Amino acid sequence: MSDSKQIVVVVDDNATVRKLFERSTENLALDLITYDSAKASMEYLNENKPDLLFLDIIMPEKDGLTFLQELRKLPLHKDTSVIMITSKDYAQDRTVANELGALEFITKPMPMSAITDIILKYINQDNPY
Amino acid sequence: MAKSYLRFWGVRGSYASPFPTHLQVGGNTSCVEINVDDHIVICDAGTGIIPLGNKLAAQTSNKDVLIILTHYHWDHICGLPFFVPAFISDWNINFFGPGESIQEIKQNLDSQMQAPYFPVGTETWMANINYIEPRDTEITRGPIGITYYGVHHPGITYGYKIKILDKTIIYVSDNECQFLDKSIKQQMTEFSEEEQEMFEAMNREEYEYELQTIRGADILIHDAQYTPEDYETKRGWGHSCYVDVVNYAIDAEVKELYLYHHDPYNDDDAIDEIYKKSQEIIQKRDASLKCYIAREGMEIELD
Repeated sequence: MSDSKQIVVVVDDNATVRKLFERSTENLALDLITYDSAKASMEYLNENKPDLLFLDIIMPEKDGLTFLQELRKLPLHKDTSVIMITSKDYAQDRTVANELGALEFITKPMPMSAITDIILKYINQDNPY
Repeated sequence: MAKSYLRFWGVRGSYASPFPTHLQVGGNTSCVEINVDDHIVICDAGTGIIPLGNKLAAQTSNKDVLIILTHYHWDHICGLPFFVPAFISDWNINFFGPGESIQEIKQNLDSQMQAPYFPVGTETWMANINYIEPRDTEITRGPIGITYYGVHHPGITYGYKIKILDKTIIYVSDNECQFLDKSIKQQMTEFSEEEQEMFEAMNREEYEYELQTIRGADILIHDAQYTPEDYETKRGWGHSCYVDVVNYAIDAEVKELYLYHHDPYNDDDAIDEIYKKSQEIIQKRDASLKCYIAREGMEIELD
């Protein structure tokens, strides 16, 4: 039943990052959904809770940390599993992400194996269906 | 019509440096006044806002200002407790800065004026204080239109695009240019061929986005805190090397660049050297960019 696959959502304005996630998850049994901005992802996230959500920090219009702060106010996303992805690797950002309940903070450029590993760490692939 | 101008009241980063060796450039921390037909926008509230506040309190033609904050690090807000118009009842002071809500912006400002750090709180401000809702994508003050975007600096930090009459001013007090580029170059040999190609594409895309934020600006005021030698040891601290900033401004076809947020370690002579080397880069690239050192008291006509 393909509709029971686990869902990973990536929100990043950088098209190459989205492509990198697509390549990294080709052999994983999950559904990957990507968006290029917080705004573009809202229609989906208002109704759905992904199994894992990757958020970029610097994006046009709304940054990923402010977006996460807003998501956490929604009952649906109070405990959604979130990982921050960013080229902006600063301790203060890690602290804020941690306070907002982000599980991890990964920095660009991240090799495909690192993406696969972190997804497998949080998505159960032993019984994906 | 009143004259329209931009004036630098504070040009230092990190901390105030009122040392005799620094005063040709200036010792106050970040603060820029933009005044268009008596509509006043103040960019950041470092110690430079103190003398600006004293000047404003001495006049009566305009008692309404908008203060836009790039972020809440001390060097950008530490002048506020001494901003005299905030303590005068017939003034209107409007604040905008990073934050998910009005309450968050207010909290960020209140917290520096609390015991044990300061003797009086923001409740002693007698002016009418307004906080602008962050959801507004454009802020307007008379003929001034302001939009903002995220930049590379610890914590959520904004760059501001300020449109006035037929001019575009970009104010980016704190930003680490080409951060991803340097990360990729450092690790390139660790990646597969496919990854290398993807990271090069990622880097080009990211740089193109950065260029887009400042492209064609008439005036760019940008963080240039470090020399290449400084940057060797301070990469990841959230500030730019001036060499990267000059190249960035040339690539984006900026007309005038003002190197800003000077390191307090750098005295007047060191900053003169930065100026000379910046001119050499421009000459070498045969670019039309005009590049200046932002100095306290410097005024740019906007008419």
